[in-house]
Amino acid sequence: MDNRRLLAIAAVVLGIALIVVAIVYWVEPAKSLPGFFPGHQAGSNHHHVKHGIASFLVGLACLVFAWFNTGPKRTSTAA
Amino acid sequence: MSSLGHAVILPRLVGWHIHQNDKFFITFLVATHLATALVLLLFFWRDWVRIIKGLGRSLRDRGIAPDDTDARLGWLLVVGTIPAGLLGLLLESKLRSVFASAQSAAIFLFVNGLLLAVAEYLRRRAPVVEEEDDARIARTLSWRDATVVGTLQAGALVPGISRAGMTMGAGLIVGLSHKDAARFAFLLATPIIGAAAVLKLPELFGADGRGVRGPALVGALCAAVTAFLAVKFLMRYFETNTLIPFAIYCCAAGAATAIYFAVT
Repeated sequence: MDNRRLLAIAAVVLGIALIVVAIVYWVEPAKSLPGFFPGHQAGSNHHHVKHGIASFLVGLACLVFAWFNTGPKRTSTAA
Repeated sequence: MSSLGHAVILPRLVGWHIHQNDKFFITFLVATHLATALVLLLFFWRDWVRIIKGLGRSLRDRGIAPDDTDARLGWLLVVGTIPAGLLGLLLESKLRSVFASAQSAAIFLFVNGLLLAVAEYLRRRAPVVEEEDDARIARTLSWRDATVVGTLQAGALVPGISRAGMTMGAGLIVGLSHKDAARFAFLLATPIIGAAAVLKLPELFGADGRGVRGPALVGALCAAVTAFLAVKFLMRYFETNTLIPFAIYCCAAGAATAIYFAVT
């Protein structure tokens, strides 16, 4: 498997993981977030919407990167 | 020249009891930023249509054709917007509370002037090539350049530091002309200012907006007119002129107000 394909697979896995993380941020209040999540705060009902948006955007960027990386080879590619 | 910096300095200068972290003030700023973003979007509407079509083409073809400058410019804008957007999302409220005072805004306005002057000094003069504006920008900027220029937008989270000033200055350093740097800065501004305003819209239409919506509407209309005139003027101005007058203004206004606030 060439490096290009490996990178694309890694980007897809990371992208999906980050989008799942975004959904967790949107759905769960700060007190229910896993302890290793930035923004976890015992007893807080605050939803970290912005953390979710940030995670979603990076996840989307990873998926776009994978999309371009698995396309036909050109002299110039995005991201 | 930092609209946020001026919005923090001016009330203190004229004796208004407004603090940057007051909810009604933030709501007011949301309205003015939304108006600015809409004006920028309308001003560059045709360009945005071309750019979005280019993005669509590149996604469909899973790559950017070498001669597709709209697609390349579109992805340069995306690459430039992501880091600033992330920094804004994660740091905005923390920076706002740390640098909330008019005194710090005045000092950063002075620093902003110095940075503009340094950018002019370090400017890399790209060879003048007669081609269409966007083609020239897309050809000059690398992905790394776009990331650096875009990331510097986040400097505007600090009141006194100008978003357009930072992006224009960085654009000059990586080899854009004044005109191209201004054009790229305005195009970069639209999604980030618009997204920031849209994210805060619930505050404008929620309980925090009570009693502020009237003044916010007037402020938004004034911001829209001013933004339109400013963009129109600056796109012509930067065809032949530099950032130096803005650097002088920022240094002078920043130094004068910082001294005034220190002694009063």
